[in-house]
Amino acid sequence: MPAEPQPPTPPRRCCRWVCWFAGIVIAVLVVWAAARFTSDKPVTYAGNEDHFKYGSTGGERSSGIPYSIWMALPELFPQYLPGKGLQSLGFLYEPGKDLPIGVSKRRVQGIDRVFLNCAVCHVGSVRDTPASAPRFIVGMPSNTVDLQGFERFLSAVALDKDFTGDRIAPVIKRMGTDDWLNRELIRYVGVDLMRDQLVSLRQMFSFMDREPVFGPGRFDTFNPPKVLLNFRMDMLPPEEWVGVCNFPSIWHQRLREGMELHWDGNNISVDERNRSAAFGTGALPPTLDRASVRRTANWLLDAAPPPYPYPIDAALASKGKPVYAEYCARCHGASGTDFAGDLVGKVTPIDLIKTDRHRLDSYSFALCVNQGELYAAYPAERFQHFRKTDGYANQPLDGIWLRSPYLHNGSVPNLWELLEPASKRTATFFRGYDVYDQKNVGFVANVSHENEKAFFPLDTTLPGNGNYGHEGKAFGTELSEDSKQALIEYLKTF
Amino acid sequence: MRWLIALVAILCLVGVFGWYKFFREVPQPPFANEGERFKYGSIGAENTRGIPYWIWVVLPRVFPDFVPGPGGYKAFGVVWEPGQEIPVGFSKKTIGFPRIANNCAICHVGTWRASESDLPHVVVGAPAHTSNLQSMIRFLTNCAADPRFNADTLLAQIERETKLSVVDRLIYRFALIPLTRSALQKQATQMAWMNRPGWPDWGKGRDDPMNLTKYFMTSQPVDNTTGQADFPSVWNLKIRNGDGLFLNWSCDTPAVISVLIDSALGLGAAPDPTVPLDTLNWKFKRRAWFVNRMQELDAYLSDLAPPAYPFPIDAALAAKGKVIYAGETNGPAGKCVSCHDPGQAHTNRLIPIADIGTDRNRMDTWNQAAADQANEKVKEIGIIRPNMVKQEGYQSPPLDGLWMRAPYLHNGSVPTLSDLLAPVKDRPTAFHRGYDVYDPAKVGFITTGDAAARDGWMEDTSVRGNGNQGHTYGTELSDADKIALLEYLKTL
Repeated sequence: MPAEPQPPTPPRRCCRWVCWFAGIVIAVLVVWAAARFTSDKPVTYAGNEDHFKYGSTGGERSSGIPYSIWMALPELFPQYLPGKGLQSLGFLYEPGKDLPIGVSKRRVQGIDRVFLNCAVCHVGSVRDTPASAPRFIVGMPSNTVDLQGFERFLSAVALDKDFTGDRIAPVIKRMGTDDWLNRELIRYVGVDLMRDQLVSLRQMFSFMDREPVFGPGRFDTFNPPKVLLNFRMDMLPPEEWVGVCNFPSIWHQRLREGMELHWDGNNISVDERNRSAAFGTGALPPTLDRASVRRTANWLLDAAPPPYPYPIDAALASKGKPVYAEYCARCHGASGTDFAGDLVGKVTPIDLIKTDRHRLDSYSFALCVNQGELYAAYPAERFQHFRKTDGYANQPLDGIWLRSPYLHNGSVPNLWELLEPASKRTATFFRGYDVYDQKNVGFVANVSHENEKAFFPLDTTLPGNGNYGHEGKAFGTELSEDSKQALIEYLKTF
Repeated sequence: MRWLIALVAILCLVGVFGWYKFFREVPQPPFANEGERFKYGSIGAENTRGIPYWIWVVLPRVFPDFVPGPGGYKAFGVVWEPGQEIPVGFSKKTIGFPRIANNCAICHVGTWRASESDLPHVVVGAPAHTSNLQSMIRFLTNCAADPRFNADTLLAQIERETKLSVVDRLIYRFALIPLTRSALQKQATQMAWMNRPGWPDWGKGRDDPMNLTKYFMTSQPVDNTTGQADFPSVWNLKIRNGDGLFLNWSCDTPAVISVLIDSALGLGAAPDPTVPLDTLNWKFKRRAWFVNRMQELDAYLSDLAPPAYPFPIDAALAAKGKVIYAGETNGPAGKCVSCHDPGQAHTNRLIPIADIGTDRNRMDTWNQAAADQANEKVKEIGIIRPNMVKQEGYQSPPLDGLWMRAPYLHNGSVPTLSDLLAPVKDRPTAFHRGYDVYDPAKVGFITTGDAAARDGWMEDTSVRGNGNQGHTYGTELSDADKIALLEYLKTL
């Protein structure tokens, strides 16, 4: 006989309270977790210059490195750095800042992440004498940062057996750079994810192994987009292998709109050029922070270089002015602020300029047409202006004193040597030293060490590093010594 | 009753949503001119053969190992103009979602360069001599067969380019990616005949036109024929139309409009051949649009001017060559004019195979039964056009824009005009075709050297269908006469 069904016992009051309480706690947790793990908030700056130096391009969203890992790496893996901290790779730290110039921070999915921005390649350092304090100058080519060295540091870390959550979490705790939850997330998930990313980054950037070492102030601009498009880099024709070139200055963009931009003049649109460069900061079409990049771009429209801070011999400079007008102005502009001249911003064919052609050849027609696919999801932003050229573009010379070493590959240390025929230019000189050489106009290039810091010897006999070209009568290398000196004095006024 | 209304309302909403996401046709933005429309305009192939845009974009990035070199789709030799989102011969059109299909220009726009450092000059209507269609088809086949063709892998790559809405991501994941994969796999089975072991490759600038027609439009069994043939030029078609004149290499078609219609149907252009005449009205509309587009193309290509020779011509020498071309001094054997000048007795007509003596494989791919079935098929779709035929020989085309039509003969087996005037035994037996730097001395593209080897595809004339024999007219002229004749041919 079946048992009598029991009438259900009414829930006791206290049990109902427990349910309510648990429900509320869960709801609060869900809201809190949603708020925390869907966050996307960059660190912002009031001043435009600080925004340029530290503001986000959106690159952290897809490429960001957790801030606390970034801070821990130099502590944990000093053996992969040439000296103490990222300073030893030439990163510039302002007093009181924990991140160097050119590194931005954004909280993505509850974790502070950092990545590079425009300033890492476009802020440099100048010292008057070895004893002087450095001045950091925005918009000039970075003359100290060794980006390739940084990439190789990360690659080495990725393969190190000590790159584990258990090794990193205690360092984060000691440095106090993240809270308990993030620390544990990094310990059990973050480090493994980052290792995967770094290993694939190492694979992606292995094309650099076929090039001479870049050293500070240089990178390869147009092989990375091929990697971005997953081109078969192993099948790249040898003439495309070497694309190393100097970072450029980025002042006076308003005056540059419509000029043939990039060293080989492959694009006439400042905006497209900016978006193209933003790939280098990790920003993809869906992750680009448009408002932030627009703010930087607008600020750069009229950003100007600082005047030459050392004495200028006015009489001598005025003698140089007509020399400049006769030899240089047609290609390089009437002055440092007036870029008039029928060939300014136009490509000079390689057969005429005769400088090292590797950078030109590294940019291929196949890449050029494929770039038409980039930003296709955002029709107003799609790349439409990339072209394959056959030479190098004539640049305006604003702030030319800060743009040493010279030529697109930074193969000539100073203006004096640029006015000498290639046979008299220094075959191997040192890059990365920021003390200024007022006599030759450029950075001091014959110092190999300062304290324990070694500078980078640029061997101009290597492919891509050639210091020839831009020479002959038309290029001023046959001028008299007096005329050259006058011309250089005049160029200081730019 | 209330439930019924709700149900009907929901069904309507689902219907509208489905229509919007899968069938809504958005006209392409207007083109600057007919040339641009020829290069990038839709011929209606997106309905049946359209690949979802984002899948098309990421395939070369997900499967670089199946791409023959660095360069995305450019690596297949297609013409791609700087600043354009897609190569020439591709059309982008939204039918529910953006799709990519091909148009006539994939085979009929070519390029030339004066030197290695020159940029490609794009010639509308020229044979696409650099494009390797077969390798592009095989690429798609390989992708579809590979386990990486899955939603996770493709979406990861797609989301590096665009932020899809939740709904679109679901559509890509559960509909477009699996459906595209199975459609490409089905296409691979339909194309299996061209991948038989040891079978001749099309290579650059060629396809196997009549086998494609036969196997797609008729129920003819796969046979042992191979008919790889050059893409022809399609400019100035007004001189190709007329009573008793024929088109296609073996004079398989009697009218320009028939060639246009059959070629477009081959690219998958609507109307869908499986749809019978008496179905829904919008199919009629689509058919009307298609026939109208074909007529527009007919009009455009009829008057499209052939490209002028871009290098210097020695006028005095050319004048001497004209006399040789006209044949007055060399007797009938050297009389080019009677077979190649518009309006002449033998131009645009059949030259019997016994007379012309060129490789017969292309001719043998077509047969009367296939012609009859293809004609019947087109009629079923509801399109009226002059019927295809079967003939035994090759067509004698007019020579307008001849300089840009290298390599020569129907199978592209002779690299330059200078080689065509040489006795068969002296013609090159292996050369690289599909490199677009021009050789004004020999009149044709450069086919030797490192650059040609890198960019070109090697045609071996000993392979079946690639024979370089026949058309020995003028091969016995004196060297001086040949040089003069070559100079004159540049002016055509």
